[in-house]
Amino acid sequence: MLDAFLNSAIAMATPILLAALGELLVEETGVINIGIEGAMLCGAFFAMVAAYFTGSTLAGVAAGIAAGVAINAMLAFLVVNLSVSQVVAGTALDILAVGITGVFYRKFFGITGMAFMVKPMARLEFGPLTRIPILGAAIFHHNPFVYLAFAVVPLIGYSLWRTRYGLILRAAGERPEAADALGLGVYRLRWHALLASGVLTGLAGAYLTLAYANTFVENISGGRGYVALAVVILGRWNPWGIAAASLLFGAAMALQFGLQALGTAVPYQLFLALPYALTLVVLAGFGGQAASPSALGEPYRRA
Amino acid sequence: MLRARDISKRFGRTLALDRVDFDAAPGEIHALVGENGAGKTTLMNIIAGRLRPDSGEVSLDGAALRSGSAAGALGAGIAAVNQSPMLFERFTWEENLALGGFGTAAFDLPAVAVQSRALADKLGFTLPPAGSTIERRSVAERVRLEVLRALSFNPRVLILDEPTGVLAPAELAPFLGLLSGLRAEGRIIVLITHKLGEALAVADRITVLRQGRVVARTTPAQTSEAALARLMIGEIAPEPTAPAPPMGIGETALSIENLSLDRDGHRALDGVSLVLRHGEIAGVAGVDGNGQTELVELLAGARSAQSGRVIVADASAASPLGAIAVIPENRDLDGLVLDMTIWENLLLAGAIRDRLAPRGWLRRGGAIEYCRVLLERFHIRAPGPDALASALSGGNRQRLEVARAVASAPRVIVAHNICRGLDLAGTADVHRVLAEFAAAGGAVLLVSSDLDELLELSARLFVMSRGRMRETGQGDRDPSRLGMLMAGNWE
Amino acid sequence: MLSSVGKSIAALILACAIIAAVVLALGASPVGVFAALYEGAFGSWYAAADTLVKATPLVFTGLAVSIAFSGALWNIGADGQLIAGAIAAGAIGPYLGGWPRPVALGLMLAAGAAGGAMWGGICGWLRARRDTNEVISTIMMNFVAAQVLSWVVHGPLIEASGAYPQSMPIAPSARMYMPIEPTRLNPAIVLAIVLAIGCYLLLFHTSYGFELRAMGRNRRAAAFFGIPIARLTIGILALSGALAGIGGAVQVCAITHRLYEKFSPGWGFEAIAVALVARLNPLGIIASAIFFGALDNGSQAMQRAQGVSPVLVQVIQGLVIMILLAFDTSAWTRIRAELFARGADSAARGDTGARAGA
Repeated sequence: MLDAFLNSAIAMATPILLAALGELLVEETGVINIGIEGAMLCGAFFAMVAAYFTGSTLAGVAAGIAAGVAINAMLAFLVVNLSVSQVVAGTALDILAVGITGVFYRKFFGITGMAFMVKPMARLEFGPLTRIPILGAAIFHHNPFVYLAFAVVPLIGYSLWRTRYGLILRAAGERPEAADALGLGVYRLRWHALLASGVLTGLAGAYLTLAYANTFVENISGGRGYVALAVVILGRWNPWGIAAASLLFGAAMALQFGLQALGTAVPYQLFLALPYALTLVVLAGFGGQAASPSALGEPYRRA
Repeated sequence: MLRARDISKRFGRTLALDRVDFDAAPGEIHALVGENGAGKTTLMNIIAGRLRPDSGEVSLDGAALRSGSAAGALGAGIAAVNQSPMLFERFTWEENLALGGFGTAAFDLPAVAVQSRALADKLGFTLPPAGSTIERRSVAERVRLEVLRALSFNPRVLILDEPTGVLAPAELAPFLGLLSGLRAEGRIIVLITHKLGEALAVADRITVLRQGRVVARTTPAQTSEAALARLMIGEIAPEPTAPAPPMGIGETALSIENLSLDRDGHRALDGVSLVLRHGEIAGVAGVDGNGQTELVELLAGARSAQSGRVIVADASAASPLGAIAVIPENRDLDGLVLDMTIWENLLLAGAIRDRLAPRGWLRRGGAIEYCRVLLERFHIRAPGPDALASALSGGNRQRLEVARAVASAPRVIVAHNICRGLDLAGTADVHRVLAEFAAAGGAVLLVSSDLDELLELSARLFVMSRGRMRETGQGDRDPSRLGMLMAGNWE
Repeated sequence: MLSSVGKSIAALILACAIIAAVVLALGASPVGVFAALYEGAFGSWYAAADTLVKATPLVFTGLAVSIAFSGALWNIGADGQLIAGAIAAGAIGPYLGGWPRPVALGLMLAAGAAGGAMWGGICGWLRARRDTNEVISTIMMNFVAAQVLSWVVHGPLIEASGAYPQSMPIAPSARMYMPIEPTRLNPAIVLAIVLAIGCYLLLFHTSYGFELRAMGRNRRAAAFFGIPIARLTIGILALSGALAGIGGAVQVCAITHRLYEKFSPGWGFEAIAVALVARLNPLGIIASAIFFGALDNGSQAMQRAQGVSPVLVQVIQGLVIMILLAFDTSAWTRIRAELFARGADSAARGDTGARAGA
């Protein structure tokens, strides 16, 4: 029981973690990407389409990444080159994503009520490790996405705080005018971050359709992109904090199914609402913006 | 040889630079002087590649620099130090320096620290404690760090924009000595300043800018402070306003008692007390960053104190600070809403808003007319009350703020660095308005880092240092004595 | 360059051009799509009336968004606030049987306003006192509201037979007249217009509105001059929520007469497009809402005629917002200068070679 719950928690944390790590990169350069939900949704949809029509999971992953990158590129052009309002541009992309995925779903699959399934991604085998009581089944029984996501955590941490490139990325978010005065190239850095984040968010979306649900349904992202935004704040803009916060939400989501299975008298909607309400409560307690990059969210135009 | 040829730059409707030619040779300190707003900073930004000129080009030793590329300029060996330091607040000083010339592709902060210390020792600078961030550092420390960072690039050309503005008078001579040392190394030093005494003391050549044009190229031997001043403003300097005779010093207008304020974990204001009476202008001298900003924000109502009291004459429970009008230092950030119309900006002052919108209902026609009258009365050049505040020039924005302060019929006006960025004519205007206000019975608290302004206008003088305030005595109005007080030497 | 209205119209035209391309990519006919949209929206008296009906909730949520955005408070939660208002109205509606109609309607609208105000006010409080980003909090409240709605229609408010997930019908006295049978046109649109005028007056003719707009354009200066930022934040988000909540109550009173899941097809997000096209001006919201209501109305006809999913209108919404943002930015002058200067640079370089040699 417990191991199934933990396994589920880790699995559900994965897309949030991937998206949040991407968002961390972006926010460290001073941009807030509200469109992350739309990028995830498009990543999910196009991953499914590619996997369904080619039969190849790898093609699906590639398509998912491409979709995530495309959405983020649109945002990059708007908020970096044109310095428009980051919140409004991001929201526009969320709306656009719902429209694009809906329209193309109809185009490819018609209006039947049938769910179009893709082959589920195989979980990795770890032999004897899986037989460790509780933790074995919890940790050593996942598809590759999960391990990739957690492997990226130290990678991002190292890149941001232990490399020169990380320093100049963070400089762009700390004080863009000063960074440009030193010739670091704020626009270029923000583009890099948004494209890299597009890869991670696209992967998060691909995970949803290729490994989690094995099909695409309307609004499959279900607010996970927005939760990722909250996770960055809760994690204090630190990869390990983000990993912990993602697990917290993963657990909240896993709880839904666990408690439903228990068949308590509490209405199931409470559990569905739990992750979102939890986000609010935790943000209320710990959600100050004091630890954020100084120039976060401010439109910047070089002279 | 640094050469800037035919440089022009326009901002909106303002022509900031008009076909400027400028050059500087190795082993020379070349002073670029001019009033605030003459275009000196713009020229510096263009040479340093931070700004793209509309026309013209910059070249170093015959090789043209790519316009608008800061990386290109740094690569060619041009480093610049800004008027207000552009450091990364939350980064440590080592990280800031790592973004300078000591940083390499391999990320090695200890190595950067070692190199920085070596250079700092050579220059006679002290560095902050290892691993500390910039946030708590004083303004003077920041200037030094930025100079250090610029020098870490081992630049052929070093441009400094008003570097002495934030230094206490005692630190001036060592700094100028430093520049001479750098000159001896064969570098090209461009010193941008509006302080003629300094320029004459240390420069080899002087170029005078006025309203975006070069009006003179000369050397200290061939000119004088008076001549330079005349070139800078193009006419005889207007008579400095004589300090308004303290006529009818009346009742207490403002009383500050033992005010203390903490900010970001340090004590920004420490037991500040003063009494200001109707009809007088009192000055608060001090190097920027010693608590003046917090004091002004507190008097504006934007910040609250941990302890102490502020009592304003005839304040009410509804508006305990009601009768104070504050003119903030950061005019574009704190004083105006540039995206709103001029008449709407007047409404920012609560007293004016109450008058033009009694019981909450705003009569637009009346407000616009009121604005029109005010613009005329204070000689503010504007397209009309309906124009956006961003259409006003810097000087006119300042006049607008002063006008708004006076029009809100306050008992006390608090003005913070009110003439920064203004030319001499604008400065004279503002000073005159304040003097008239005091003569009519108002009280003025003039907070400024400009000693000339303070000595000219204020009957009484206070000095702030590290959050503490002290009134100066009769014999303390000597600039060098004041300098000591400002640096914190209060015996 | 273009005037405010001109920009909005140009943005819509550009969006249509892009949509035409998308439609071609889908293998349908752009002309056909636009014709079907028009036909569905204005092709008959019934259709035109229904366009107004579909526009009504957009006026309320559009006003909610404009008011908040004018204060630089990013209220993405108009959906949740509308639902909260609908729930409040739907909860008391069945019990208003004995009351005279004006009173019953008044109570319904008041309930809607209260529900929405609470929903928005919570996020306002979180922003003011806890520094919580209101974009995230309002979005989270959307999801919570959807679940609360789901719960009440399956549970406490479920209709008598218990067979369908919908609430009990509201009393006849709490319903709005539909004077022009068989259309669904009702007085709610009048209420919407009245509120729009009210919001306009509030925004541009009162001190409160001035403080709101000053805070939106320069928060620092507003704080410096003693404008009560915290109080305004809570007040504006509550007001914004109340407007959306009234919209929800109106839907219950006039159209649905009960609650069910998926009450809002995304009016809260669509409202952002509505508000931007109207340049955040409450008077412009009316026309803007009618335009987007027409799109919503026509989308069903478009689906039937051309086989294109109705969510194409969301592609239009997203595009319109992005195009307006692009039109409004002042970055173009700089981009033009840069492109122009780059050309001048290379020309000058040819020059410099000669001079350097000299």
